[in-house]
Amino acid sequence: MSLLQVGGLAVDFRVDAETTLHAVRGIGFEVPEQSSVALVGESGSGKSATALAIMGLLPRENSTASGRILYAGRDLMQAGRKEMRGLRGAQISMIFQEPMSSLNPVFSIGFQVGEVLREHRGLSRAASRQRAIELLGEVGLSDPATKVDAHPFQLSGGEQQRAMIAMAIACEPRLLIADEPTTALDVTVQKQILELLARLKAGRRMALLFITHDLSLVREIADHVVVMRDGEIREQGAAADLFRSPQDPYTQALLACRPTLAQRPRRLPVVEDFPASLSTQERTRGLTGEEEIILEARGLAKRYETKSVVKGASFRIARGKTLGLVGESGSGKTTIAMMLARLQPASGGEVRFGGRDALDVPRMEYKRRVQIVFQNPYGSLNPRFTVGRILTEPMLIHDLGAGEAGRRAAALELLRRVALPESAFFKYPHEFSGGQRQRIAIARALALRPELLICDEPVSALDVSIQAQLLNLLQDLQDEYRMSYLFISHDLAVVKYMADEVMVMKDGEIVETAGSDEIYARPRHPYTKLLLSSMPGQ
Amino acid sequence: MFLAVTAASAAGWIVRDWGAEAGVSYAPPGFLGAQTRSSASVERDRGTAGKQDDYGIVDPLAPDLAEIAKTLSGRSSSQARAPTLAFGGDKWGRDVLKKAVKGTQTSLFVGLAAALLATFLGTLLGAQAGYYGGWVDDVLNWFYGVFTSIPYLLLVLAIAAVLNEKGATTVILILGLTGWTGIFRLVRAEYLKHRVREYVLAADAVGASGMRRMFVHILPNVSHVILVQLSLHVVAFIKLEVILSFLGFGVGVDTVSWGSMLAESATELLLGKWWQLAAATLAMALLVTAFSLFTDALRDALDPRLK
Amino acid sequence: MTAYVVRRVWQFFPTLGGVVLLVFFLFNWVGGDPAYLLVGKIPSPERIEEIRRGLGVDQPYVVQLWIFVKQIASADFGASWATNERVSHIFATRLGPSLTVLLPLLVVSTALSMVAAMLVAYVRGSLTDRAIMVGCTVGQSISILVYILALQYLLAYRLGWFPVQGWGSTLGENLWRYSALPILVGVIVSLAPDIRLYRSFFLDEINQDYVRTARAKGLGEGRVMGIHVLRNAAIPIVTNVMIQLPGLLAGAFLIERFFSIPGIGREVILAVERSDFPVIKAVTVYVAVATMAVNLAADLIYRTLDPRVRLD
Repeated sequence: MSLLQVGGLAVDFRVDAETTLHAVRGIGFEVPEQSSVALVGESGSGKSATALAIMGLLPRENSTASGRILYAGRDLMQAGRKEMRGLRGAQISMIFQEPMSSLNPVFSIGFQVGEVLREHRGLSRAASRQRAIELLGEVGLSDPATKVDAHPFQLSGGEQQRAMIAMAIACEPRLLIADEPTTALDVTVQKQILELLARLKAGRRMALLFITHDLSLVREIADHVVVMRDGEIREQGAAADLFRSPQDPYTQALLACRPTLAQRPRRLPVVEDFPASLSTQERTRGLTGEEEIILEARGLAKRYETKSVVKGASFRIARGKTLGLVGESGSGKTTIAMMLARLQPASGGEVRFGGRDALDVPRMEYKRRVQIVFQNPYGSLNPRFTVGRILTEPMLIHDLGAGEAGRRAAALELLRRVALPESAFFKYPHEFSGGQRQRIAIARALALRPELLICDEPVSALDVSIQAQLLNLLQDLQDEYRMSYLFISHDLAVVKYMADEVMVMKDGEIVETAGSDEIYARPRHPYTKLLLSSMPGQ
Repeated sequence: MFLAVTAASAAGWIVRDWGAEAGVSYAPPGFLGAQTRSSASVERDRGTAGKQDDYGIVDPLAPDLAEIAKTLSGRSSSQARAPTLAFGGDKWGRDVLKKAVKGTQTSLFVGLAAALLATFLGTLLGAQAGYYGGWVDDVLNWFYGVFTSIPYLLLVLAIAAVLNEKGATTVILILGLTGWTGIFRLVRAEYLKHRVREYVLAADAVGASGMRRMFVHILPNVSHVILVQLSLHVVAFIKLEVILSFLGFGVGVDTVSWGSMLAESATELLLGKWWQLAAATLAMALLVTAFSLFTDALRDALDPRLK
Repeated sequence: MTAYVVRRVWQFFPTLGGVVLLVFFLFNWVGGDPAYLLVGKIPSPERIEEIRRGLGVDQPYVVQLWIFVKQIASADFGASWATNERVSHIFATRLGPSLTVLLPLLVVSTALSMVAAMLVAYVRGSLTDRAIMVGCTVGQSISILVYILALQYLLAYRLGWFPVQGWGSTLGENLWRYSALPILVGVIVSLAPDIRLYRSFFLDEINQDYVRTARAKGLGEGRVMGIHVLRNAAIPIVTNVMIQLPGLLAGAFLIERFFSIPGIGREVILAVERSDFPVIKAVTVYVAVATMAVNLAADLIYRTLDPRVRLD
């Protein structure tokens, strides 16, 4: 029995007078009653546009949609505005990716949850507030009677998302659409939210349309999977079948290019490798204990007036090896990166670099030997500089390279090394995709031939298939130049793939340090165990 | 959008050119006009006559005075005194149209110069305050607080009252040295925002110095805000100069300004002569609107979010 | 909260000190010797000295500064040079008329521009939107002087709907008869810039994610705009209004002058024209204090309206 039937859906966005973006190019799929369907795709696949089309929320001024969306027998594409308004929130609800900005900042969550009830069920203020408290309790918010009057900014990301869910299920909808609801959350919270959704779905006999870019996430919750790429459906079917034997090369690639805890191939497969046989040669990692130590931190700390962000961190980085740093948001890992790159002063502790106290090393020399790649590919490149300028500036500042021509030649060589075309030299950052910008950032860091490269979540903002490419690139560079890496990430599988030794951070402290195979096979600290068990697929 | 920019700038440029050209050709008060000596021959054409105000008394010395005037100004007697002018004449018979156009030149000059001064000051101080923070910020904020505690018009008038000196330079200095506050606040906010952006951190990571980061890296990313502010301030200063000239504190008597035109038209209205008011208003509206549209188009064109 | 207010009031003093210094510098130093201004047509050295002594300008600068500070503290600035009326008295009597015009002006223009801005923002990009925006641009380019002159001439002089200028004796008469045209002029002048500004505030809010959520809940457009968006846009609007207050407090100079409304603004213009230093100095200092007070009030109101902002 089909609750929702999408047929021949196409969505176009008018970008400007000449360009039209074909976000969705004629797709069809079904959501059976009380089932859970996962809509999977990377950015630009058209999955969000599909969801908005179902809800009738596509922006009127620049989008056109055609096709059929049958809900309980009625074609939603033909429905009038008033009718759609009646459906939204009452029969079909939606929750979004960024709970902080999706909630109205000036109203309490009780008001916002109650609003749906007042609108669709005609409840009074008092009754809707009471019901809101019950709903907030049902979605797992602690102390709902107090939190009902709280404003969104007073809640954590997880709590905000729970509030959103409460708002969505208040009128007992038959279909809940969740658009990347956990992408912005820490992995431990993510697991809780997924469990909540599963529980609600079962308890309320609701159907769930779950949209995500992370295929491994849906292994646990989906009955059916629909895989999209560039506005088309590449594959769809029962989840069990799809995971066991994926038919489409793209699906195969999505499944394979994500580093897993089970294996560590020499190179991660990328989309272009499919369909093909892959070499399953493994890469070994680990420290023998006899490597040269290029950087050692002892009791590194950072304190602000109100809180202590890093509390006495001690670790060592060996030449040519990678030290992985894992932690959730707020653990202090980025602060450590900032301090090691000398972008922020430390409050305490000591760092020895190349045998000397790091602070005794002159600023310019230190910055030449220690470089950093940031997380946000959209922010770390000066939008007003051409790529060529971005790459030659470090050389200019440090007086490397033989004059302008020499620097230009060096920059072109760097571009080649990170697999970007020479023509990129004259272009501006905004002309490149996220993955390409990260390559530029890596090239910039490489320009000075550093001995230590700090990678602060370098692939977290990228699609899975692009991640694989970049991780391969980073590894190739390390192999070639024998750089040491401090690799920071919240993603355990990626860290296991890249690192020889792993440290786990929580609330400013390093709770466990061990060789990378060891830490995943035999975790000792309870937090490490929690992290590992929260991973999707564990 | 591009067309709008071109159109707006074209409109702006046309008026500017006009002003410059007419300004060059405008002779110092030649007192041309329909100045006649007896009421009998006064033209009273509705709407286009120059105003005159003798009371029908024949001036016995008039012919001799006219002779002297002619000799002094060295003009040929064939220079006729037009009974009507395209947009009418003012109290002394000066061509209103030419005045309006010449006023453009005054306004543009004063507005632009003052805006440049204010923008330069505001940007320099704002960058220092936003980037360095600390005591530099505190001191500059104190300055800002002092200047903004006094409503702008009041401050300008107070300074004008004290200086009691007229002239374009004075006006430019007054406006420029007091009008930097808005730009200061915006530039400071921008620098505060950009200071922690990753591309600035990245510049620090490759070894760029503070000065370099401030002016080579951040400034180009802030320039769109500054340019728009410059444009806005030109408009604001033009309007202020008009008010100052109206009240008598603006440019000197020998320079034409729309403000003085408006001042004259205040009394003229009561006599039913509306054309100087109309001319000044129209000219001002044209220039300011063109400039405003230009600013809007500029803002849209430079908005990095659209990239 | 109290601690915050106290801290802010404490911060008044450096700024006030700066203002005092600035005013003093302007008037006592740059302003030159006022004796010559006051002495009349035939200056005799003795007369000049006498005036100088009377004003205290024969003293060294430091002493003059001290006198000025005392004046501020005691709120007594002496007498106007032009009319010899006590400055404090001037203030007391002129404040009322100023407010009679300004308060209704503020309320009416804010209400009108808010509604207009919201509607225009809602139909953003349409012909209506662009037409109104161009209209506002043109409207803004016309000097306030023109509005005053033209409207005064047309509506009062020619059509006789309002008195051309003047002021009455009772509040009712003042409010309805004499303030009507000045308020109308004031509203028209401030409509154009306000609509443009508030429109941008509304647009910022309309593009936020929470609007999408509100629609996803099935709320009607009226509720989405009138409650969700409005409440958020109100924050910068109210802040903006409060910031404008001190400027208005100095009296809508020009309006008061042309409509002969005996308010503070008119006094200021007269004082400027007559180089009447005590009045100008006093007004400047007082308005500075008022501005700081209003800014603090604006900040407090802002923090009440926007729950995200914490008092620290």
